[in-house]
Parts: sequence; structure tokens; C-alpha cells
Amino acid sequence: MRTLLTLVLLLVCLTTVPRISTARTPQDILVASDAVRNPDFPFGLTNTLIEYRKGKQTDSSVLAVYSRLDQGGGQFRSLVRYVAPARDANKLILFNGKDLWLFDPASKASVRISPQQRLLGQASNGDVVTVNFARDYRATEAVEEDTQDGNRQTRRCHKLNIAATTTDATYRRIEMWVDVVSARPVKARFYADSGKLMKTAYYRRYQKIFGVERPTEAVIIDGLEPDWVTVMRYSDWVKRDVPEAWLQRDYLPHFKPE
Amino acid sequence: MRALLTRFACAVVTGVLTANVGAQDAEDDALRLANETPEVTQAARAWRVFVEGSLGGHVRRLDGGTQDTRRASLDVQVDHSPRPALRLFFSDRLDVSSPAGPSGEHAVNTLKEAYASLRPTTGVMADLGRINVRNGVAFGYNPTDFLRADSTRSVVSIAPMSLKENRQGSVMLRGQKLWDGGSLTALYSPALRDAPDQEGFNLDLGATNNQDRWLVSLSQTFAKGFAPQFLLYDEEAATPKVGLNLTALLNDATVAHIEWSGGRAPTQRTEALQTLTPVCECAAWRNRTALGVTHTTTTKLSLTLEYHYNGAAADESEWDALRQGPLPLYGAYRDRVQRAQELPTRQALFLFGLWQDALVQHLDVSLMINHDLVDDSRRVWIEALYHHGQFDFALQWQHNRGHALSNYGAMPEARAWQFVVRYYL
Repeated sequence: MRTLLTLVLLLVCLTTVPRISTARTPQDILVASDAVRNPDFPFGLTNTLIEYRKGKQTDSSVLAVYSRLDQGGGQFRSLVRYVAPARDANKLILFNGKDLWLFDPASKASVRISPQQRLLGQASNGDVVTVNFARDYRATEAVEEDTQDGNRQTRRCHKLNIAATTTDATYRRIEMWVDVVSARPVKARFYADSGKLMKTAYYRRYQKIFGVERPTEAVIIDGLEPDWVTVMRYSDWVKRDVPEAWLQRDYLPHFKPE
Repeated sequence: MRALLTRFACAVVTGVLTANVGAQDAEDDALRLANETPEVTQAARAWRVFVEGSLGGHVRRLDGGTQDTRRASLDVQVDHSPRPALRLFFSDRLDVSSPAGPSGEHAVNTLKEAYASLRPTTGVMADLGRINVRNGVAFGYNPTDFLRADSTRSVVSIAPMSLKENRQGSVMLRGQKLWDGGSLTALYSPALRDAPDQEGFNLDLGATNNQDRWLVSLSQTFAKGFAPQFLLYDEEAATPKVGLNLTALLNDATVAHIEWSGGRAPTQRTEALQTLTPVCECAAWRNRTALGVTHTTTTKLSLTLEYHYNGAAADESEWDALRQGPLPLYGAYRDRVQRAQELPTRQALFLFGLWQDALVQHLDVSLMINHDLVDDSRRVWIEALYHHGQFDFALQWQHNRGHALSNYGAMPEARAWQFVVRYYL
């Protein structure tokens, strides 16, 4: 009996040791989930935001987003152009970390704005542009657990505890559920400095984009007012050149997408 | 005691479970909404057109009587690229007002921009035509906005953004070279006419092209978030000026900015009155500055406070002398200063507040206060703007307060109000 037990233990060890040796760190999982959300080359997409309050649509915006990975810092720099509504059409927002500029073609004025200056209702500036979480945050813990995804299906996920590590980070703390098999982000909860839940996001409608299954929808639910909901849909993905020269204030008056 | 503890524990557990179930229900509802959200497709348009109508009135300072005002406007902006390397830009505005404006014209058309832009390679651009070049990071006073003089043909609102939007550009040739983190821009704007022409449908080349001017600006990023802009400007009728624009993020909610220009020049009083009265040889180095800070709260309220300084404007003694002197000289000085969009006195404070989604969604409330630190006069302007679909509804109120012939006390309107409806096509 003792020999049998020893053999079983040995077998368990042999089967688990390789898993331990190849096990990814929480940060590796975060990096993998970033790679699912974001291509690693310059690209453009359309972000359509539809906002609901108490079940009724209250707002909508369409944005054209052009993003490029900053080779030095590893974070994305983005140029966002309003397509709709008409009153905001062709306004531009330049995102370079916390260096933000708003350009209005009607007044030709470029105004520097602070990260707290929200321009799109519930969505923060950081929600509408491409962000590599692993650049500004550190995942400190990964716990396997079952959770319900955005289609209310049960999924086995790593629940990551993520803390901000740079001043560019929008949130102090994030909890993110990442599918253990595919590294797809399933949902995330974002917390303020006070520990208060600011919003919950579900990543849904996975489609093959540039050869990888990526989320094409994020449903953002307000932490204080859960009936305040923003649906963000990503479409018209295109691999394109986004020159460095575009991503500065003095280019904004000249920006005209081809 | 044990029963009490058990009951308390049960209440806590029930409360937590109920809260979790509530949050779960709310998330289920949110996801259901997302499931029902239709697909929206909206292509970018090469044009933007709106029509605007306003009804208003003002109380005349002189006799206390009231005057009704009406206006209809059409604003068109087209930005078309027939080829990837070519861009054609056209922007025009027509205002039809009753009573007529200071020019005596009921209908005033402003050709704001009409130019072609060539982009032979990425990072190199050449533009030719009437272009509205606007420099400056400040809100209420822009010492480096060197091409602003005489650019406004029709004032429909005193809001800073309106004054910046509703103005005509200058005919020029402009070139720009961009590189990673920097750019160099140079423009030449020639003299095409001698003087402005206020006829309603005149292109008014004499307003913004009445002398040869050139401007060079250089921007360079020295560190992340630190990219000053340096400017060098010269015009036929004056000595060169230099300028600087600089911004800094103080924290996640606060941006500071400084805008400065300087150069050798006589006083504004000398410049304005030189054809009417003997002038002094008082050219000296004069600085102009706008120094400000903008703070945004979590409730979407942004407050901007600025200090304005114009070293060429009248100081207290000069201002007193002008106010107590012959009225035509005072009027000539005011007219010159207003056309140049300059400060009439040495120092001023400016406060601008914008509260987005104030109390109700889509309602923006703005407050602007101009305070003259030399004569203590003040202007207060408040606007409530409600967006609804393609409509904007705005209610504006303005109050000018001050002693006789002070900066704001001399405004012909003691109080003014207007209701504006704008519709985007």
C-alpha cells in the first residue's frame, strides 16, 4: 500500500512539476491579455459609443482612433477624431500618456487638457484609446476561479489583482478576469484611490481581427449608478501607418486622414 | 445574547447576499441592453453646416432704453481631399442682423478660410490661400495670436470661442516641416489692400492683408509633456516681436499655461493717436503676458483663472488722462484697441468656468468674468447651453459694470441677453 501511495505521489509530482515550471506569472497573464486586445503594430479603428441611463439611450458618439505603440515606453499613443455628433465632428484629441490636447477645427485652437477632463460622458479618456495595462500596472496575484462572462456563460479564469505602478495609470487598482486557456480578458473592475468601485467592464463579441480573436465590444457599467451603461463597439480595424509626426500638437491643424 | 448575535450575523449575511444579487441584476440588465443595441454606422463627412437664429435685446447705457436684436446665420465648413496629397479647405459665415452692426450693414459675410494644402511627403506641408492662423494657449487674451487684428467682421457673442471661430484669416503662403517631437512653421502674408472695407459681402482683404507680415514658429519636445513653442513675428509697420507658449500638467486635474510676447514698441496710446495728436518717442521693450491655470473637478466643472498683462496699454495715470481728455481721442484709442483685440489697460483678471452636464445631462453652464484691475470695471457673461440631437439651445446674459468711461462702464450696452438656436445639418 505504501509503495502504491509513493507511486501515486510520484506520478502527481511528475505531472505537476512541468506545469509549475511553465506556469506564467500574474504579469505574464496580463501581458498576454493585452496582446489579445491590442495589435502590436500601428492601426486604426472606429469606436462607437452608445450611452444608456435607466435603460434609455441618452447619447452616442463615433470616434476614429489611430494608435501607435511608443517604442520607448511601451504604451500606445493615440489620435482620436470625432466623426459624430455633428457639433463635434473633426475635433481631435491627442493622447500621449497624460499629455492631452484638444483641437477644435472651428476655432483652430489647441487646448491642453488634464486627464480628469472627461470628454465623453461616462467613458474616461483612458477607456476610449488603446491601452497596454501591463505598461502602467503590475499584476500581483492570480487566482483561478469560475466567473460569468458577458454572455452569462461560466468561464474558468485567472482573477488578477492589478496595481498601478506609474503616474500615467488612470486607476489605482484593477481586478481583471482573464480566461485561463485563451488569455482573453473577460471582465474587469476598476477602483478609485478611495477603494470605491468606479466601473465594471465586460469584454465581448470576440472576432478574428488581424489573425487573433479580439473583443469588439466593451460594456461599461458605472460603479455608483449601475443603470448608467456605455456600450463601446470597435469596428473598421485597419493596419495603417500612424507616423510619429502626427502625434504632436502642431500637427493637429493639418490632420486629415487619407 | 447568543440569539441576538445570531440574528445580527443573519442580517449581515442577508444584506451582503442581497447587495450581490442587486449588483448581479444590474449587470444582467446592462448586458441585455448591450445585446439589444443596434449596429450604428456613421461615415465621416467632409463638411459641417449649421444654421443659427437668435432673439435678444440690450439696455442702452446712455438713455436706459431697450433695444431688441435679431439675427440669422449660416455657417459652412468644407474640408475635401480630391487626392491624398491635396486638401481643399473652405469656411464661410453669413450673419444677417437687425438692427445693423457698427458698419451699418445688415448682412455681413465673412470668408473665414479658403486655401489649398499640399503634402508632398509625410511631415512636409505647403498651404496657399486665406488661412486662419491662431497661436496661443491662453483663453481670454492671446499675446502670441499675432494675426488677430481686424479679423472679426461680425461679433455675435463675446464668448472667447465665438470670437476665435467667427473671424477671417489672412491670405498667405505657409510651409511646415514636422519631425518626431517638433515642428517648424514659416508663413508670409503680403499686403494686398490699404484698408478694411466694411461692405457686407466684401472679401475685406484690407482688414487682414494691409501690410507685409511674416511669422516663424518652432516647437520642440524637450521632455515628456514639456514642449514649448517659440515664435518670431515681424510686420511692415512695427519692429519684430518674439513669443512663447508653454503648458504644464500640475496634477491629474490641473493644467498651467503661460503665453508671452515681447518687443520694442511705442505705447498703444501713441500708436492709436499718432495721426490726431503729437506722438512721443517712447519706443521701449514691452511685454504682454497671459498666465493661467485650469482645474477640473470630478463633477466635470472646469475653472480657468488668468492674469493678463499688457505693457503697452494705458497704466492708471495714462488711462485717467485719456478718460478725462477729449472724447474723440478716447474714442480713437478704444477703437484701435478693440480692433487689435488688445487690453485697453495694463492689467486684468479673467475667470472662465464651464460645467458640463450641469445638474442634467447635456446642459452646459458657462460663466465668464473679465475684471479690469486698473479701473475696477467688470463684465459678467453667463450661458446655459442645452444639446438635444442636432439642436443646440443657448440662453446668454451679459452685464457690463463700471464708472463712466471705464473699460466696461463705457460699453454701449449696460445689460444684454439673447436666446440662440443652432441646428446642425
